[in-house]
Formats: sequence, structure tokens, C-alpha cells
Amino acid sequence: MATRDPRAPQAREAELLVHDLTDETLVYDLTRHQAHSLNRTATLVWRRCDGRTTVAEMAALLERELGTPADEDVVWAVLRRLGRAHLLEERITLPADGIRCSRRELMRKLGLVGGLMLVTSAIAPPPALALTCVTSCSSPNSCEPCLGNQPTCTGKNVCCGGNCVSCTSSNCTGLPCKCN
Amino acid sequence: MSGSLLPRLRQTSRPTARLDRLGWAAGLSFISYGVRVGIRISSPDHDVLERLTACFPHGWKPARSPIVDRLYSVRLGDAGSPSSGHRLHRLYEGRTRLLRTPDLDGIVRALESQLQLCVAETARDRIFVHAGVVGWHERAIVLPGLTFSGKTTLVAALIRAGATYYSDEYAVLDARGWVHPYARPLSIREEGRVQGVKYPPEQLGAHSGTRPLPVGLVALSQYRRGARWRPRSLSPGQAMLALLANTVPARTRPAAALEALQQVVAHATTVRGIRGEAEETVDALLRNLMP
Repeated sequence: MATRDPRAPQAREAELLVHDLTDETLVYDLTRHQAHSLNRTATLVWRRCDGRTTVAEMAALLERELGTPADEDVVWAVLRRLGRAHLLEERITLPADGIRCSRRELMRKLGLVGGLMLVTSAIAPPPALALTCVTSCSSPNSCEPCLGNQPTCTGKNVCCGGNCVSCTSSNCTGLPCKCN
Repeated sequence: MSGSLLPRLRQTSRPTARLDRLGWAAGLSFISYGVRVGIRISSPDHDVLERLTACFPHGWKPARSPIVDRLYSVRLGDAGSPSSGHRLHRLYEGRTRLLRTPDLDGIVRALESQLQLCVAETARDRIFVHAGVVGWHERAIVLPGLTFSGKTTLVAALIRAGATYYSDEYAVLDARGWVHPYARPLSIREEGRVQGVKYPPEQLGAHSGTRPLPVGLVALSQYRRGARWRPRSLSPGQAMLALLANTVPARTRPAAALEALQQVVAHATTVRGIRGEAEETVDALLRNLMP
């Protein structure tokens, strides 16, 4: 991959489903099965991550679009969050002169441009997790009820939808079950 | 169920063929939401067959063709056998053994849960979201939530207040984001019991919906004793995340799921909060959709 100007970040495009909502963007990561909701500020920054627009230019754009003061500190905070969500081609390393204000000051600035929740993330559940527990398991595989989706089983089984099933069952792949 | 047209998978792998050779007395193929499912059983016990048929998913219809997408096999144990291994009943999905137990009730419950999941995961043209649903003034109230979040309790209270019953388990969405009925009997848990008791909706004085409805309100709630329902609104993005966390094919069909969910949040209000007793929450929920 070509080395880019770290001050002109590039948004990731591969393996993403992108839905434009009013003032927000919903991004689904097909690789990690994670969904991210970008607020308006994060959306504006992410859309400008074209590998050419610099952080300073993004700050000016934010100020113009939001009609409220926004500087490079805000943009760096957004980029850091976008990087953590794997929505940039390369994770951002903050330069020495990156965020120059205190944490409290940064929070105040983010509050002014639309809130601290820049990117909210959630993991898409495997199918079996979105299933009502119908019963506790009976012998011979003593399985506790799936209360709070924290099932435990004994033997070579996992608790899936309230039932003891084989650990190798494809239906339970990815479940937060543990085999003792 | 009949023995003449035993269901079989579209493609039979070698290990499944080994299971096929064990001998099967009866079977049935059915379609539910476009998914073709087959059940076969080792013994033609009429009582057992009836119990298995009773746990088929909502809206199933017998299929003419024995070729199925998913095949479940039930081998009944021999109660009189001196060997403990032979007394066990077994449930298979394809070639995978899901359960081995002397408890036939366990087999029936496991099959019911597997059939529901199979249809919810692979239904064609529909997205299944884990949620209770009622209809009110031509719009749907959707109550997403995982196990033990109190969905059914809230649905039952809404029904008693005059809402139309749609589902206590799944919001079945089409591509427009409209919700279709999945009016299975309500499974209400009694104090201290994990397993729910089934009540036909009519027994609770409910009318079951028959037509799809647009979603008017999505309410995410968690029960806490003594709490008062003071929900906050969610933005469309936050609402989609919350719905996605309860969507069965979120991983397997994310594009279709997101399309349907986007339609829902574009037209519905979404709120989240802690609630107290269901009866105290019902009025506030219904007021949201007053004409």
C-alpha cells in the first residue's frame, strides 16, 4: 500500500455496507460483523477522508457545515474514533502536535459540534443468539438455563437457545457459550 | 406424517447417507416462509408424531415434494432396553446430533426451538427480528428484546388493553419495513419457571392480526421493579443498531436486514427506557400511536 500523508486520511471502502440516514450514517462491517452509527460530525469527516483532504481542511469544512467553531482537535478526535472502528484504511497515529487541548476542553468542543457519541458500535448477533430460551437442558448433559445469555454446560456441549447441543453444531458458532 | 414420502436433503453427503440407512418409519415435509423443512422419525408412534407436528413453526403448510433444505431426524429410544444407550432419544439436524436424552419433552422442545431458528434464519423475503408485536390504530408497536427482557408480559398487557396480537417472539418484516403476523400461542413464564406455558391469544381475549402493518413505534424496554417508564428517543442510527442487535439474519443476510430496518426507522419513532410493571407502561406506549 502506498504511503499516504497521515494528515490526509483515507476512508475504508472494502467489505462495508453503507446506509445514509438523516444526519447520520450506518456502516456495517462485513468482515467483523460490526455495525457503526456515525453521528453528523463523524459522517462529515468520514466522507472527506479521500486521501487528499487534510485535517486542517476538514476542520474548516466542519465549521462551515455545522455553523459552529470546529478545529483540528475535533477532527483528530473523530479520526481516532473512526480508526478504532476500522473505518479508515490505516489506523491513525496522532502526530505530536495532534490534539493540543485538555480532555475536558476537547469534550466541550465535541459537545459544541453535536455530541460526544461520534461513533456508536454494536456487534451483529449470530442467529442462535437472537432466539428465546425455551427450556433448561435435561440430563445427561446438565445445562443451566440460558439466563442473561450466559449459559454454561458440562461435557462436550454448549447451551443454545436453552438446549444442550454439540459444540460442533454450526447453529451455535460464535455464541458466547463456554464448554467445561 | 407418512412413510411413503420420506423427506430428503437436496444433496446427500456420505455421513447423512449413513444416518439414512438406519431406517425411518414416517416423515413429513413442510414449507414455512419459503423454507422447506423435513422431519423423519424412527417409529410410527401416533402420540409422538402429534407432539412433533404441534411444535412446527407458525404458518407451516405441508409440501408436496420430499426434497428439503433442512432435515431433522428423531430416533426414539427403547424404554424396555436394558442398555442405557438404547433408552436415549436422539435428535439430528442433517448429520449433526443435536441432543441425546431420555426425556422426550426435551427432544420436542429442542426441535421446536431449532425449527423456529431455522425458519427465522433462512426465510425468503422476510427479516425476522426478535421482538413482541401488537397492532394499534393500523400501526404496529414493536418491542425488541432478548430472552427474559419481558416482551411477552408487555405484549399480554397490551392485548388486555385492546391491542391486536401479532407476535410474542418475532417481528417478521418485509422489504418495505412492514410487519407481518406471527401469531403463535403466547409463551408466558410463571414465577420461578424457565419454561413458558402456552396460551392461545384468544384465551387472553386477543384478536390476532391478519394483515401487514407499518411500524409506528419501536420501544426497547428493560424491566426493573418499581421503575417508571420515562423513555428517551433514539436517532435513526441508534435505532438501527438496537434493532440489528435483535435481528436473526443480521450476519447471514446483512444487506437485506439493513434495508428493512432502514425502512422501519424512517417511519417509526424509537424509544428506549427502563420500565416498571407492564400495566403501568401500556398506556404510555399506546398514547404514542393515538390518532
